[in-house]
Amino acid sequence: MAENRFVCLMLAPSVLFLGLLVAYPVCLLVFNSFYEVETITPHIREWVGLKNYADALTSKRIADSGWRTVQYSVFALFFEFVFGFCAALLFAAIADKSQWHRTIFALPLMVPPIVAGLLWRFLLVGQIGILNYGLTGAGLIDDPGDIKWLSDADLVIYSVAFADIWLTTSFVALVSYAGLTNIPKDLIEAARIDGANALNRFWHVTLPLMRPVIAVVLIVRGVDAAKTFDLIWIQTQGGPRNKSEVFSMNIYQRMVRFGDLGEASASAALFLIVMIVLAGIAYWKIWRPSHD
Amino acid sequence: MTDVYQRDIGKVMINAFALLLVLSYALPYVYLLMTSLKPAADVQQIPPRFFPETISLENFNTVLGTATLPKAFLNSLVVAILTTVLSLVLAVPAAYVATQYRRPITVLFLLFALITRMVPAVSLGVPLFQLLKTLGLLDTTTGLVLAHTSTAVPLALLLMAAFFEGIPKELEDAARMDGCTRFQAFAKIILPVMKSGIAITALFSFITSWNEFLYALLLTSESAKTAPIVIAEYNSVYGLAWGPMTASAILYSLPVIIVTLVLQKQIIGGLTFGAVKG
Repeated sequence: MAENRFVCLMLAPSVLFLGLLVAYPVCLLVFNSFYEVETITPHIREWVGLKNYADALTSKRIADSGWRTVQYSVFALFFEFVFGFCAALLFAAIADKSQWHRTIFALPLMVPPIVAGLLWRFLLVGQIGILNYGLTGAGLIDDPGDIKWLSDADLVIYSVAFADIWLTTSFVALVSYAGLTNIPKDLIEAARIDGANALNRFWHVTLPLMRPVIAVVLIVRGVDAAKTFDLIWIQTQGGPRNKSEVFSMNIYQRMVRFGDLGEASASAALFLIVMIVLAGIAYWKIWRPSHD
Repeated sequence: MTDVYQRDIGKVMINAFALLLVLSYALPYVYLLMTSLKPAADVQQIPPRFFPETISLENFNTVLGTATLPKAFLNSLVVAILTTVLSLVLAVPAAYVATQYRRPITVLFLLFALITRMVPAVSLGVPLFQLLKTLGLLDTTTGLVLAHTSTAVPLALLLMAAFFEGIPKELEDAARMDGCTRFQAFAKIILPVMKSGIAITALFSFITSWNEFLYALLLTSESAKTAPIVIAEYNSVYGLAWGPMTASAILYSLPVIIVTLVLQKQIIGGLTFGAVKG
């Protein structure tokens, strides 16, 4: 039983810490969500039951920000995945000589999100954004003023995702590359001898073997994209006219700008539940990849 | 013959594509660096140029000449170091027993760490604000360290658990045979073997804290403000002061990038192996 005591002693500090700084705040969050309470005066509160949840679920602005979170995540994830996976295939094709390529490609990985956001804002913004001059030079648009990336209400939620795509394609690429190098060479060779062409080899051998890696990448990046705050905040602060306000930003605004702790807590609790359920479903699928 | 010839062309094409891809990814950051080296007046020139016509440290002098940014860098550094130390102290022993003494409670504990990684920062930020306010820790280094550690510990736990998986249980048994207590075996035999794993975990904890923005925005206002908050404030305080903004962004991000390039092999290993093993 000395063994059990040892286990408990070693676990205790981090259990206590996570209890105080993760579990307790989550309880506090749920508790607050049932009250009418303001951020600056949390001691004055009035029980309102599920009213905050009802308000959150019927608010147009919250629904819009939720929908935008989906648009942003799907858009970012799609391009990150396509670019990252293609890069991994390229690197795998030149194998040993890709060392330097991968080193440089990993650069954005360590750029702080707010720097990536600032950088892309600088590339896209109004008159001085160099991207539009590049597009004009390439003959893709007539005038640098033609596309207003960050002030066009219909475009902005996609424009702010460019920084995300730039920042995390490397993650997808490096993880996929590691996965690709783990595929046994003789499997692909066997398919070649059986007369499968490159496309068939990719489709019937490489892709199925990469399934677990692809799934992990999609989950990790999907969860991160849905949680995004800093990257968009630094580019637009949710503007113009809230057209780039995602869910986490909406919660922040209601707590800090409008000081409505109760309603912000209700949305934050909903957010938490949705994220854990989504991640749970996804993990379940990975843990049992044999069950198609 | 033609087959070999075609293969060569294919190889050249693939190399060219790979190079193009890599260069286009590096380009934005290089442009940021180039912009920071322009004289302030040239930063917002129309049309923009990629390279500076004259190289100038004006923007760097501007931001380093203020009292706010150097102080914010110091705050960031102190918070990141304390977060790293605290995260290691908490996570390393727990990850060790969680992998070497597997039982229902340790499995449950790791699962909890995994779920914690899914929690959106903003959901925790709201009640953390209230908790720190009650404790009188708003806008203090201690408060921010606690908040950052709550994000860093789950990550450190999962990383360290993956590293400890590779250690045979016999190592501890042998040490105990020689008369060590369990704790001595852990401290004197196991930890030294885990040096590189601990170093990688430390680096990740450091970067987690160094890059963190939302908690710093919510939980600090004046004296404990970190670098990203001050950089973000160039947005509103100076209007569109792109010159100082690019200079401070470079100062803030370049050290991390250099460390990464130096240690890139280990870091990329740490980043990817959890995912691939999954």
